[in-house]
Amino acid sequence: MRYFTKQQGQKEAVPVDLESLGNDRYRLTVNGKTFQVDALALEHGTMSMLVDGQSYSVEFEENGDEVGVLVRGQVTRVDVADERRLRLRAATAGFSVEGKQLITAPMPGKVVKVLVKVGDEVKEGQGLVVVEAMKMENELKSPKAGKVTELFAKEGTAVENNAKLVVVE
Amino acid sequence: MPKIRKVLVANRGEIAIRVMRTCKELGISTVAVYSEADRSALHVRTADQAYFVGPPPSRESYLVQERILEVAKKSGADAIHPGYGFLSENASFVRACEKAGITFIGPPASAMDAMGEKTRARANMIKAGVPVVPGSTEPFATEGEARDYAQKIGFPIMLKAAGGGGGKGMRRVESLQEFESAWRSAKSEALNAFGNDAVYIEKYLEKPHHVEIQVFADQYGNTIHLNERECSAQRRHQKVVEETPSPILTPELRAKMGEVAVKAAKAVNYVGAGTVEFLVDVHRNFYFLEMNTRLQVEHPVTEWVTGLDLVALQIRAAEGEKLPLLEAPTPNGHSIEVRVYAEDPSRNFMPSPGKITYLRVPGGPNVRDDSGVFPGFTVPNFYDPMISKLSVWAPTRAEAIARAQRALSEYVVKGITTNIRYLKALLAHPEFVGGDYDTSFLTRNHDALMGVEDPRLSEVALLASAVYAYNRDQKRAKTLPSAQGSGAGTGGVSPWRQALRNRR
Repeated sequence: MRYFTKQQGQKEAVPVDLESLGNDRYRLTVNGKTFQVDALALEHGTMSMLVDGQSYSVEFEENGDEVGVLVRGQVTRVDVADERRLRLRAATAGFSVEGKQLITAPMPGKVVKVLVKVGDEVKEGQGLVVVEAMKMENELKSPKAGKVTELFAKEGTAVENNAKLVVVE
Repeated sequence: MPKIRKVLVANRGEIAIRVMRTCKELGISTVAVYSEADRSALHVRTADQAYFVGPPPSRESYLVQERILEVAKKSGADAIHPGYGFLSENASFVRACEKAGITFIGPPASAMDAMGEKTRARANMIKAGVPVVPGSTEPFATEGEARDYAQKIGFPIMLKAAGGGGGKGMRRVESLQEFESAWRSAKSEALNAFGNDAVYIEKYLEKPHHVEIQVFADQYGNTIHLNERECSAQRRHQKVVEETPSPILTPELRAKMGEVAVKAAKAVNYVGAGTVEFLVDVHRNFYFLEMNTRLQVEHPVTEWVTGLDLVALQIRAAEGEKLPLLEAPTPNGHSIEVRVYAEDPSRNFMPSPGKITYLRVPGGPNVRDDSGVFPGFTVPNFYDPMISKLSVWAPTRAEAIARAQRALSEYVVKGITTNIRYLKALLAHPEFVGGDYDTSFLTRNHDALMGVEDPRLSEVALLASAVYAYNRDQKRAKTLPSAQGSGAGTGGVSPWRQALRNRR
């Protein structure tokens, strides 16, 4: 079984081949290297992973399509999918900043300012909406140059985490 | 004065719990207050009694004096501990407590008045012979006067709000060209934050260290200091890591600064726990910065090396007991505190409130976690993003750094993003390890502190993520009954749903 793992900030997905050997044992191949791995999944997204005698306590945290992987103090955010799902996701632009971009609230808070209107042309990095949380204002910027096609954010309203704010196309 | 039997803690989060813990150990009952956003908070369950005080914004709940006093009366509390922040440095609240016949665990209102406004505090300190940073003792009436003064003492200078703290209304001005716009923005920021646009000028010191002295006084004029805390690891004037002893202080300088801090406290007839903040320049001259008339966030490091419980001492002082010691104890070993914040360093330290889905706190010898959260708790977005203070003790500084690193590596928080990795990078930075880091340390090393990726660990993470995805897909296949049927070919979608989709 082949999985594609794309690290946040990287352009290319890295394929990882997985063969289940039963009893929590796997043969995994990445970057041309093959490992025998004993991966025991525990409660609450914790996994004890033994790789060639090295012991890793791994913590997982799912966030949308991405999974955060904490190993020895380092957090790596990975979008991992099999081939079919990867294709589906490419269609919804999850893997790139091409096409339609949905900007969502990165945290629960309050919309204190809306800096654009529907139909506005925006540059990459241009501020779109200001959300306030914990007494700090945070400006959300456009991930690409384009046009504002939809606007959900309203000044003065409270928003939940991941709430839709703006669409730039 | 009679013994205190019941304490209302007019605060929330970790400090409310910190205070209640000592109260419990002393056999004193506790009363919590909570806003609408804090019904599920830990301090409500830690207390013996708890009362609702209003909507989430603190100015409608935790800051409403009448409501806090009403709860004190209703619950039968004979004393109020204000914690830090909120009403802790509000002289009018102290007077209101006095009027209501409730003991305020803190200094008298007159001492707060004398230290509360920064220019007044400076004037009082100059009178008492305490060295202050060269600058104006009064706010300026016009921009012209201020500019003339700035030229006289020479750039760089700092513009500071007379009415506030916490970095608001503060501007560093490098040259005359920058003066006008800095003046305008400092004034408007001061007005917004404190309702008072008075701004004064201080000389900007090169590579200053922030070193503060803990002082303590009883009601009979006995005043001592409990050594220093080095707090130069700051970001936007917010402390991130604190330690004691300060790596740059000699015993002679400690004694000298301690003496001056005691003098400052005595000059305003101080009672209880207070902190005198100093800036120490490259030549190891020190200058009075301000006095915090309350318990500090970072008090645990002082407790580690002195063996004292500062909250217990505060309560004893409020009961009218004499200080149990009459001179500063020699610091025993070394202590470091790191502040765990719900924030994302990689996204410009954006706050990250939300639900804590899983929490595992460090243990082992000489590790202390002062936390106000629990698994399942939703960190509200109305208050400070600090969720915990992790402090450690060890015989030497090097061992304390190693222990703090070890403890941080055991800390697991899921559901929200924290600065734990940033803290690890900070403790590992050669400048921090060297010990001579000034207040610009964090800003100057921003990129280095974002952490370098270990490619070996990233590879392990990729392997782990593949196993994770495999387990996830196996589980999904099992829970979807159609997976074995015709739905298998379409990725686990039931034939019914597939049929509906095809019709669209």
